[in-house]
Amino acid sequence: MDEVESMIGRGREAIDMIIDADSLQEGIIGEFQFDPELGPGAVVGTVTIGGQPATIIANDADEYNPRFPVVFAGVIGLEEGYKMALAVYRTITVDKEKPLDQKRALLLIVDTPGNGPGKIEEIMGMNKSTGGYQLALAEARKAGHPVIAIVIGRAISGAFLCHGLQADHILSLSKEFGTMIHVMPLTSISRITKLDIELLEDLSTKNPVFAAGVNFFYRLGGVNEVVDQVEGMRDAMIRHIDEVRELKRTGQFDKLGPWGRGTIGAERGGRQTRKMVIEKMTEEFDAVADKYLYA
Amino acid sequence: MSVWNQLQKNSFLESSARQRANGIVDNGTFTELLGPRDRVSSPHLPVLGEAVAFDDGIVTGVGLIGKRPVFVISQEGRFIGGSVGEVGGGKMVATLKLAIGAYHQIKEKYPTSYQGRLPAVVISFETGGVRLHESNAGLLAHAEVMDQFQDARGKIPVISLIGSKIGCFGGMGFVGAATDLIIMSEQGRLGLTGPEVIEQEMGKDEFDASNKALVYRTTGGKHKYIMQDCNFLVEDSIEAFRTQLAEVLTLSMESIEEMRRVGSQKLVEEQLELVKLAVELDPRDSMDVWKYFGNESPAILPELSLTDFLKQAKRRVRKVEGGSVNG
Repeated sequence: MDEVESMIGRGREAIDMIIDADSLQEGIIGEFQFDPELGPGAVVGTVTIGGQPATIIANDADEYNPRFPVVFAGVIGLEEGYKMALAVYRTITVDKEKPLDQKRALLLIVDTPGNGPGKIEEIMGMNKSTGGYQLALAEARKAGHPVIAIVIGRAISGAFLCHGLQADHILSLSKEFGTMIHVMPLTSISRITKLDIELLEDLSTKNPVFAAGVNFFYRLGGVNEVVDQVEGMRDAMIRHIDEVRELKRTGQFDKLGPWGRGTIGAERGGRQTRKMVIEKMTEEFDAVADKYLYA
Repeated sequence: MSVWNQLQKNSFLESSARQRANGIVDNGTFTELLGPRDRVSSPHLPVLGEAVAFDDGIVTGVGLIGKRPVFVISQEGRFIGGSVGEVGGGKMVATLKLAIGAYHQIKEKYPTSYQGRLPAVVISFETGGVRLHESNAGLLAHAEVMDQFQDARGKIPVISLIGSKIGCFGGMGFVGAATDLIIMSEQGRLGLTGPEVIEQEMGKDEFDASNKALVYRTTGGKHKYIMQDCNFLVEDSIEAFRTQLAEVLTLSMESIEEMRRVGSQKLVEEQLELVKLAVELDPRDSMDVWKYFGNESPAILPELSLTDFLKQAKRRVRKVEGGSVNG
């Protein structure tokens, strides 16, 4: 493939490429208006895509948070995590009365290098912010909203867990775009695990459970579809919204979200042991269940 | 004296994952599921030349407290820091799934008298989160655990016990925060970014990880108690944790939901108030926040015995009571 231009740090451009032209109403979801100062590292708002309303949540790598200096270049900080969670809850509220198949989609544009590592963040309990956002997304997903994430740049560790890994379906631009999906660089892994860097480098070219990158993550079921052109992002998002909506309409929630990714991973030859663990534990519990359930 | 009776007096901090699992449920009721005898270990560690454990560092199983089946997940910090990989993650997810299944079975069997019989999930955390040796599988497992938590909401309580050496950090730091209720000891530590990582990333001026007192003031049980980031603070013994656990299991699911920190719009709005406070106060140290919440002499708090601390410490006043499940 020819050289392509990376989308890293270009979350706002990605929004424009994906949504209906000029449809972004930033900071507005239903009647609710976000404080424009709150969480500048995250963009939230209402858009239309294929004529349908949706909520968009994206990282903004151009902004920094003047109140929390760890937030720049797309970092999800204390304010950002809660802002994103609030956008999800507002979305649930707006469509509360609508039937399952009319709940609007949530579109997550993922390009984040991490969560804010700082003293104030820990004093205030940053773990609640990232955890709270994940619970909100899980609730929206289970309420019927199609939640579709697309990795356009960096999807790193805990920040990807909070912004991406709770989606129904996850798409990613292909590795030619310099997309990064991993927990930490090999040099850091080597330092912490005290494992030889050459061994790790070798493993990172072939072992999907360890290796960084979109293609390996795909083999584990962590990415549903790899998109190889920016022009394809919009159509792919629309197609996945429809697919997910149809699966929910027919009650097939098990095929979606984190649990669904386990199933897809097993089909693609990754995470075979997980499947065995769950089956064996269920079997062992069934053998003693009466003693515990009907004590 | 039985093994279980001896375990009760054990320091929770010093206890192994298996001792904690056995000791926090009623005497002799714990059945381990996928225990070491099954020899299910990580397939990913041998390629790195690393030793495996036949429980992959996580003890899972079921016991009873009264008539309630209590599903237990207990992490072992002595095996690769209690890190979560494919097998351990699968064990956590399966335990939660079994507990939710048990809820439905019990409600069906006892349509009018299920209250005292409903299952609970207890997680004894000792972990830094994702196991780097199999990081992709670890990440995906974390997401699955959060997904199961949301399924458990309003049905069965998911309760954290935090009082082990490694603490509860990394991805498991937000997993802990997302449970219904948190019981800690003073020695327990809870956070997102561990002290060493903050120092590594931000420099010693921002955070000196070798300063133990600072580490405990920032992430330890007493701080989390003042912040309302843990619900109960107990002595460092298995018995103290078990007693507190048995007590909260007498509460209704509604009262337990009210103890949450996040999980609803109202709760997120309450937390945003706390973020505003962080901006106004710009604390250099947790003691600045303790003082703001009405503790006139914050410096003495770390020195107090648990009994005196619980008597004297002023906690953050919660503005919102209760998170309800939307939709």
